[in-house]
Amino acid sequence: MKIRLSHADGRPLYVQIMDAVRSGLVRGSLRPEDPLPSVRDLSSSLRVNPRTVSQAYAALERDGVVQVRHGKGTFVAPGVRPDEKERPRLAREVARRALADASRHGLGLADLMTALREVEGGSLHGDGSKEDGR
Amino acid sequence: MTDTATAALPIDLGNGPFAVTTRELARRFGSTRALDGLDLQVPEGAVYVLVGPNGAGKSTLIRTLMGLVRYQDGAVSVLGRDPADRGAEVRAGIGYVPEDYRVGYSWMTVGRLLEHQAVYHPSWDAEYARELRARYGIDPGRKCHALSKGQSRRVQLVTALAHRPPLLLLDEPTDGLDHVVRDETLSILSEYLADSPTTVVISTHRVYEVEPLVDHVGVLSEGRLLGQLPRDDLYGGLLRYWADVPEGWTGPGELPGRVVRRSGAARAIEWTVWGDRDAVTRGLSQAGAAVREVAPLSVDEAALALLSGREAT
Repeated sequence: MKIRLSHADGRPLYVQIMDAVRSGLVRGSLRPEDPLPSVRDLSSSLRVNPRTVSQAYAALERDGVVQVRHGKGTFVAPGVRPDEKERPRLAREVARRALADASRHGLGLADLMTALREVEGGSLHGDGSKEDGR
Repeated sequence: MTDTATAALPIDLGNGPFAVTTRELARRFGSTRALDGLDLQVPEGAVYVLVGPNGAGKSTLIRTLMGLVRYQDGAVSVLGRDPADRGAEVRAGIGYVPEDYRVGYSWMTVGRLLEHQAVYHPSWDAEYARELRARYGIDPGRKCHALSKGQSRRVQLVTALAHRPPLLLLDEPTDGLDHVVRDETLSILSEYLADSPTTVVISTHRVYEVEPLVDHVGVLSEGRLLGQLPRDDLYGGLLRYWADVPEGWTGPGELPGRVVRRSGAARAIEWTVWGDRDAVTRGLSQAGAAVREVAPLSVDEAALALLSGREAT
């Protein structure tokens, strides 16, 4: 599981850890029954307070995404269907951030939708414009 | 005067349990009030960062908790004891990294110094001490007087942690450490916290270096607290509002929150406000401001807003 935390992100660290687990599920790098890193290992590698990792795991457990098995660790819940729940949920989160970013620049939903279609169309048809070259 | 009278943000953390408290703590040096009616509350198991400019009283406070500075007024409790009359017992339960990076015992080798420390601490974990020494790349054969500032800091961190104390008092712990060693230190502290219930007080004027570990914040200025609260409360309650406003806008007559700092240009304001997000947004909107963005502040930014807002008034 790859996690990159950003302190400029504006969202609490535990929420960023939750999203990293969710996007692992959506991309398929995490599957039902997979073990997650221990609280000690993950907090040590992310250099965060162990409570932040516990907080993220507890919230994911409440959402039914993971299971804490006592003495064994934390696992992706067996019944997780990433495409049904986690995918739209993650998409909404990305959309929320995009809208907030647009609003900061004085743009609205209509501007954003138009630009998204243009950019997506541009990159699909390879029109070679520079801003799509990433 | 106690903190409650002057604080811009809440300073009361409720009923505890607390590992460390002070009540109207005062200490003067000559005519300087180093600590001026300070009400510190460090919950058990918290990682509490003490933020403030140089000279705010951070080191005096930590040395008072250690029983190394005598206080003149108020009350202090550290792990249930008063360091003024039970200093040795208090210090036995504390891992201390002092502001001064010199380790003393200049004639000893580092290995000898660690053995020496072990004698004073029945709880000394020799295996853990070796592990830390190895992770920090400390040469046990090196003489203490030949240590660089960064090497001394590492030795101090080993001696602070290796007796596995329930309370860590770290005064500018990352001072003198390079980027790599600082990163390793955060990793070591994360593991330490995961392994045993520990309360940590970190004093620093570079909060961003330790911010991911922190869950409580105290902002200190001129011997008083401007705020003392859980990190999450700070994150949710102290927010920066960007808004477009009409020419000549003077602001709402009354806002359901406390404006900590006002800045921005003629038609675009940037206010830092302590209060309920929705209520403050509504208050600004009703006064004719178009709120564009609301965002939380890092601990560093929050401290800066509090400290500079204070200077501006």
